Amino acid sequence: MLNYLLSLLPSMFEGLTLTLKVFTLTMMLSLPMGIFVALGRLSKIKVISRCVKIYIWIMRGTPLILQLVFIFFGLPLVGITFDRFQAALIAFTLNYAAYFGEIFRAGIQSIELGQYEAAKVLGFGPIKAFTRIVLPQVLKRVLPPVSNEVITLIKDTSLVYVVGLGELLRSGKIASNRDASLVPLIVVAFFYLMLTAILTKALKLCEDKYSYYH
Amino acid sequence: MKKRFKGALLVLVVLISIIVILTGCTGAAGSQATDNTKSTGFEKLQEIGYVTVGFDDTFVPMGFKNENGEIVGFDIDLAKEVFKRIGIEVKFQPIDWSMKETELNTGNIDLIWNGYTITDERKEKVAFTKPYLENRQIIITLADSDINSKANLKGKTVAAQNGSSSLDAINSEPELAATFKDGAPVLFDTNNEALMDLEAKRTDAVVADEILARYYIAERGQEKYKVLDQDFGKEEYGIGIRKEDTELLEKVNKALDEMRSDGTFAKISEQWFGANIEK
Repeated sequence: MLNYLLSLLPSMFEGLTLTLKVFTLTMMLSLPMGIFVALGRLSKIKVISRCVKIYIWIMRGTPLILQLVFIFFGLPLVGITFDRFQAALIAFTLNYAAYFGEIFRAGIQSIELGQYEAAKVLGFGPIKAFTRIVLPQVLKRVLPPVSNEVITLIKDTSLVYVVGLGELLRSGKIASNRDASLVPLIVVAFFYLMLTAILTKALKLCEDKYSYYH
Repeated sequence: MKKRFKGALLVLVVLISIIVILTGCTGAAGSQATDNTKSTGFEKLQEIGYVTVGFDDTFVPMGFKNENGEIVGFDIDLAKEVFKRIGIEVKFQPIDWSMKETELNTGNIDLIWNGYTITDERKEKVAFTKPYLENRQIIITLADSDINSKANLKGKTVAAQNGSSSLDAINSEPELAATFKDGAPVLFDTNNEALMDLEAKRTDAVVADEILARYYIAERGQEKYKVLDQDFGKEEYGIGIRKEDTELLEKVNKALDEMRSDGTFAKISEQWFGANIEK
């Protein structure tokens, strides 16, 4: 039994690598993009906020798997071709930036107007007031909902099989089909649980670090 | 004033550089994919230097990954031998089976080669080589089941793989399918799941490709199952190629013919199925 489990590991690690690659890069790209989405959504310029609203509506209103299929298989029809990994990353980033955008918007709107006024009185310009006073508080406040999305993301990465990428769940399914057994899927579940445990811990540390006023 | 912009600028620069690095890393593969899209003739494939075979990497024993992560299987060995004879390198690309024709027609892959059953609907979208394997749609039950014929399936739960030719075979006999419990078969993602459901006794019978089913039955225990004498018809496996790639089609057909006459085909078949089941 132990030998069998060990024999599963190499292909699982291969899948895990891809899962982590999609996960980390999506995080790195979609979190900063989320801030810009939130700012665009709150923009006083009607055209911008209208466009961002439509973008959020599309990204949240269609299944992520459909967006993946569309970007990888649909866009080549109009002459835009991405390779498998690029397409997956673009779909995930666009999708998650929309969700993060809404979380950041809630965070930004939760900051009292008085703080903007106070910043103005102290001679802060609007950009400096946002980056130095508002944003740090926003980041603190949105950590719990962001953590939620982060954990959802690690599981959503299993969707990339649709563009032919071999991620963690896929490697489990391959082994499960090959050996006609459920054991590989249990191993996969264990991997996901471990990942989530590590992430939960890391996010908790972040929250603790930023709760210096409490 | 300057500092504020510096911060924003830094974020932007980091973002852009990540994107540039990413596209840079994968740029080569991306441009190849673009070449593939435009390729129609065999010369184009020769220019690229290889052909890409699309296969479902969960599809044992035709094409799958072994414990070491190597791509192996009957179809894989067959394809390697065919392209050795044609004299072009072959690469294997795992695909999602429900996307196979889209993968082919967008040029991401050049051949669908993975127990691909020849059907009239598929013939409209892709060109097929000559059939190379014959397959039956068999009915599997648990060993102690009282189902002994197709007529016995009345009121029973019957399962099959979604999007498979087994489902097409069932649907080609609509009067019979209507007598199943709930008037239609239950659909699973893989045959393995259908057989697991059979073992859990929620399903009374599974309809599946004989070649695949025999593999699973052998893996899960021969004594547990019964295969009915009646079946849902015979069918043939072929290799799917884009309709405009006529030269590639000819070359594959020719190589397969040679392998049949010099015994290579029989050898590969014996290695995977323990018998020569060539068509």
